[in-house]
Amino acid sequence: MAEHGDAQAALIPFLQYCQEQDGYVTQQAVSDAAALTGITDGEVESIVSFYSLLFQHPVGKHIIHACRTLSCMLGGADRLHEHIRRRLGVRNGETSADGEFTYQEVECLAACDKAPCLQHNLQFHYNVTPEEFDRLLETWRAQPAGAALPAE
Amino acid sequence: MSADRPAASRRMVNVVIDGSALSVPEGTLVVEAAKLAGTSVPVYCYHPKMDPVGLCRICLVEIEKTPKLQIACATRVTEGMVVHTSSERVAQARNGVLEFLLLNHPLDCPICDKGGECDLQDFTMSYGPGLSRLTEPKLHKPKRVDLGPTIVLDEERCILCRRCTRFDDEIAQERNLVVIDRGHRSLIGTSDGGPYRSYFSGNTTEICPVGALTSKAYRFRARPWDLTHADSVCAQCSVGCNFRIDSRFGRIMRTFTRENLEIDDGWICDRGRYTFNYLYEPTRLRRPLMRRGDDLAECSLDDAAALCAEKLGPAARAGRVGVIGGGRLSDEEAFALQAFARQVLGTNNIDYRVHLQKFASPARFGARLIDIDDASLVLMFGAYTPEQAPILDLRLRRAVARHHTQLMYIGPYRPHLPVEAQYVEYTPGAIADLMMQLADTVHQGRTESGDGFVADIARRLAQAEKIIAVHNGRDPASVSALDRLLETLAGYNHRVGVLVVGSQGNARGAEAAGCVPNLGPGYAPCSGEAGMTTGEMLKAAADGALDALFIAGANPALTFADGALARRALENVPFLAVAEQVLTETAALADIVFPTASFAEKRGHVTNLEGRRQAFGQAVEPPVDVLSDAEIIALVARAMGHAESVSPQPAALLAGLVRAESAAERSVGDLLPRAKVDAVQPAAVEKVDATHRTFTIIPVPHLYSGGGAVAHDPGTAPMRPRPYAIVNPEDAARVGVVPGERLTLSGSGGSIDVEARVGPQAPVGVALVLADMPEAPANKLLDASGFGTATISKAASVPEQRSLERVSA
Amino acid sequence: MATFEPVLTKGVGQLDLTDVAAYRKNGGFVALEKALKDMTPESIIAEVTASNLRGRGGAGFPTGKKWGFLPKDGRPRYLVCNCDEAEPGTFKDHMLLEQTPLQLIEGLILSAYAINAAHIVVYIRGEFLEGYRIFMRALSAAREAGYVGDNLLGSGYSADILVHRGAGAYICGEETAMLESIEGKRGEPRLKPPFPANAGLFGMPTVVNNVETLCCIPHILTRGAAWFASIGPPKSPGPKIISVSGQVQKPGNYEIPMGLPAGELLQDYAGGLLPGRTLKAIQPGGGSSAAIFAEDLHTGIDYDSLAAKQTMLGSGGFVVMDDTTCMVRASMTLVRFFEYESCGQCTPCREGGQWVHRILRRLEAGEGSDADLLVLNTINDTLTGTNLCPLGDSIMPFLLSVLRRFPQEFAEHVTLAGCPFDPARRMVAA
Repeated sequence: MAEHGDAQAALIPFLQYCQEQDGYVTQQAVSDAAALTGITDGEVESIVSFYSLLFQHPVGKHIIHACRTLSCMLGGADRLHEHIRRRLGVRNGETSADGEFTYQEVECLAACDKAPCLQHNLQFHYNVTPEEFDRLLETWRAQPAGAALPAE
Repeated sequence: MSADRPAASRRMVNVVIDGSALSVPEGTLVVEAAKLAGTSVPVYCYHPKMDPVGLCRICLVEIEKTPKLQIACATRVTEGMVVHTSSERVAQARNGVLEFLLLNHPLDCPICDKGGECDLQDFTMSYGPGLSRLTEPKLHKPKRVDLGPTIVLDEERCILCRRCTRFDDEIAQERNLVVIDRGHRSLIGTSDGGPYRSYFSGNTTEICPVGALTSKAYRFRARPWDLTHADSVCAQCSVGCNFRIDSRFGRIMRTFTRENLEIDDGWICDRGRYTFNYLYEPTRLRRPLMRRGDDLAECSLDDAAALCAEKLGPAARAGRVGVIGGGRLSDEEAFALQAFARQVLGTNNIDYRVHLQKFASPARFGARLIDIDDASLVLMFGAYTPEQAPILDLRLRRAVARHHTQLMYIGPYRPHLPVEAQYVEYTPGAIADLMMQLADTVHQGRTESGDGFVADIARRLAQAEKIIAVHNGRDPASVSALDRLLETLAGYNHRVGVLVVGSQGNARGAEAAGCVPNLGPGYAPCSGEAGMTTGEMLKAAADGALDALFIAGANPALTFADGALARRALENVPFLAVAEQVLTETAALADIVFPTASFAEKRGHVTNLEGRRQAFGQAVEPPVDVLSDAEIIALVARAMGHAESVSPQPAALLAGLVRAESAAERSVGDLLPRAKVDAVQPAAVEKVDATHRTFTIIPVPHLYSGGGAVAHDPGTAPMRPRPYAIVNPEDAARVGVVPGERLTLSGSGGSIDVEARVGPQAPVGVALVLADMPEAPANKLLDASGFGTATISKAASVPEQRSLERVSA
Repeated sequence: MATFEPVLTKGVGQLDLTDVAAYRKNGGFVALEKALKDMTPESIIAEVTASNLRGRGGAGFPTGKKWGFLPKDGRPRYLVCNCDEAEPGTFKDHMLLEQTPLQLIEGLILSAYAINAAHIVVYIRGEFLEGYRIFMRALSAAREAGYVGDNLLGSGYSADILVHRGAGAYICGEETAMLESIEGKRGEPRLKPPFPANAGLFGMPTVVNNVETLCCIPHILTRGAAWFASIGPPKSPGPKIISVSGQVQKPGNYEIPMGLPAGELLQDYAGGLLPGRTLKAIQPGGGSSAAIFAEDLHTGIDYDSLAAKQTMLGSGGFVVMDDTTCMVRASMTLVRFFEYESCGQCTPCREGGQWVHRILRRLEAGEGSDADLLVLNTINDTLTGTNLCPLGDSIMPFLLSVLRRFPQEFAEHVTLAGCPFDPARRMVAA
């Protein structure tokens, strides 16, 4: 993209790549991104902080995004979320004590016909019941975690 | 209005605003047109110097034939537009925006610095709701965020208008202050919570429409309605920004911009803004001092004047006396000082030049600061405006970033510039040659065909319609060569002009007032033989050929290029009288020290680098025994029986100066005569071999360096740099210099300890040494050319932190 | 069951339309081959204009007209595809991206050819990782087959597609915010004018079109503008995918002819309400739209019919709520969405959104008062219509519509000091 505009167009893909490597956008990544695109560290951080899929602080290897918007709410998301929070011992936005799971209630994921839905490392899971979540959790725990948010 | 506004054309359109018909340039913003119509539309995010962003929505107005309310700050007038700025709908929208802004705004107005001059208070009173409908606790955000050396941020008071971040982006072009996060969670911040360091930071506290950004220097100090205002002019550098001094009970509380579009465009730098608290420090001189052996002891003004008369009289009669200073005095005082030398002491031995600067004015092709705005090419050499003339640099940054002005920096090293520039690295002695080659190339029309980098530059010159040169008046040969180059370019119908950045705030005023050995007031050749330059006086004093020196507002011990000579001279001269505000390195060597008034404590005029003479008023009274320099000079003259020769009154002195200037009968376009200079060959850079540790020393300026007021001011202390030397990474690897370690630099006049820095700014074989630092005077390493050589070695031990209390020898 | 023959979703669920051969067999690339051989850009624009196709992203602006705004000044032009679907209740672009990416690619190339775009950028929502992967595979297959790249089908026309992945921000669906985001900046809507047609991506003339809009183009060119215009009401014709969700038997994406009565969609396509429930409210056009109610079921699903009911077709997110749903809670959920997604530039949107959210939250928790109801009833005047972009104007419509229709339900939250639908107050924690 940078070939088509200015260097800054490469910023977000670069940050996504850094995050895939490091788990979050480190201060080093901020400086590297600034050097790459010719903007300041502050500007990079301003941009990072704007986007909800870019993290400025360390997060778990497993990132759970649970949809909370209207259709999922109508499909029982509240009950699911309560269950997930209890199960992981976290509040919304927190990472589990073992550092493995970061839990975020997010806005509409555009899978409203299969409510409630969630994403685990950006992979969709549909019609998730509390029981289904427990099953999923076991498979996530068992599987070697790849990049939490793949940049591709 | 700032020159940035793209829209306003010359075509006029007819509009009706609140019933009054008027004709305004097409494309004028509705908010500006409303001002012309005599009504005002409230604004928060809008600022006339910055691009409209339309965020705060307080300026919504009703425009007929447009269904929705429109923002006055970003809507441009068109023919026949009918605007209502106070209709029922507008009132409701404003009321709504204010209600939203006040929802979570902490009502800590009683202790808020902005209280009384706050747009949120004022607009709420004029347009806002009387009651809050919020029935729950306000949302909380960080309060008292330490934003760096100058500013405290209250995120709760912030209304997210983004004026501050846009200032740092559009005006300062630095982009370190940013918006973090989004939505109502947004905060103003910096990278990793680090300090907001900018030479212009104080301006954000002024443009903040609420009390979110407050100045550390002013926090909780006063209420705005208790302040007494005085219009003043900043004399910290040669730009001459207009500002206002606000005081309470005779003490300065803060300073504030006083917009002069042609000079400062409404901004001031932090050195200008914050350097005033030194006046209230114990180190500020309040009583005259007289030498008793190794010590200086307090004495009366009369005793000090009497001793001066006793010592200066015989020295003057013997023709063995000299006077140094003027560049830090007002125009009136500089005039008084040269009158004192010529009429009281009977000598032409007077010189204001104690830095590297030789000339303060262009001989021809003068320029205005506003000429930078539409220059096609700015040619900077020698001067380094980001450190030496920040507000000039702001203008330059804007011109480069927004008006396609090209910046070419020619110099012996490659400093960091905040905007895009072409660097031409050139050895100091060769710049004159370069200018001559350029002049020849342009003249001979070889610009199209030649190759090599001289031809490249010549081509760019040839393509530039308007060329402004900014230099430091330091190297007479290159200044003459520049004159020749500009002459050539002017001959081909280029518009050209020169700005000489002074190394002292009133260098140009001092030069014009006659504080040079061969020219009197108004650049008129002085009667009698030309006197000695500063260098000659110091040489004579060091050699025992002078009996007395009178120095007013100058610190040659720290700033004169050949520091060893200066110190030897000041130590050897039998009698030294110094007028100063603090005990500088020079004053500490004196036999008599007169405490002097600051600019805030007197009135008069200063002349900026354009040659513009500006009046400044008195803001506060000086301490009892503290006189202005003019009064001190008059006092000494009276003690010598020459009361009639020098008036202490600014008005009388100015009248004398103006009379002398008109008598000089200089008309526009005349070539100005040049001040006498010492013949000094700039040192050629030595070639270094692979192993030795000898470096060429080039002193570099810093906004907060210096040994006078700024060294004693608690407000600017956090911004003071520690002495450092920068070497090229190649050299660092070669001789094993590690960034951060202590180095000892040893030269002909002694050695200094500095912090090692490594960077590409320094050419190979060169160490860039921070100039004018009392704790590590770079001039110990320099010769009269302003360059020097030194060997670099690791420092023996870590020195103790410099005390602010005292810097005397 | 419905009898409308699907156009955009033909073969979806039965064929692997990410495969070039399968897509061709399904009628794909016919339009592209025809257009590159026989049609000039002008004739494509004329055909699209004649079809009365209106933008499927939400605003419903006529596509042909939008294309016509581009200045003829020789500057390079950009075509940007908005695949940042995040409007509550809408999941059609998500489906089109994953199920029939080649149809989108064909639409992109045709549109780029029509407007003579030098560059095509597809902005894919960051959360659509799977969709992105599918699209990228389809793109390389299409490139290999000669449908994307240099000298397409020997026509001399070249077009390539760049893909930008979003990073999590609903506001980037607003077209100028999307351009900022592609440029690597905070996704904050720009002040207009200038409009993207004049100064869009990197300051160049730009058209931003929605995925579904672009997917319509091949069909218009294959079957003709007249055919397209004959489907549904003349002023908003064509096939339209409606995302049905909420309390219905068979939620899902349904392709309908424009103008189909809402009741028929609910009953014939989505299988009706859950057993024993009655209809309470439908949000017909995404989270930004006002609700319609049982008496509105005859209303046609198209731009003008819904506008006549003070709501909108919007993105086509059709969320059904039955009598078990609390309107305070539904409103709170939606307002929280806008509060969270507001970029924060404009005061009314930024501050008003969080205020309304807090009030609704308090009402739902049983801590509301009559004063809160008064604020909800009056705040629209200063919150709506006062912002730079449409997000701020999206906060109030649903809330206002249900507040006016069910005032007693809101009042009950005050008088009962709690939610009548949630007596155990289990839902308050969120």
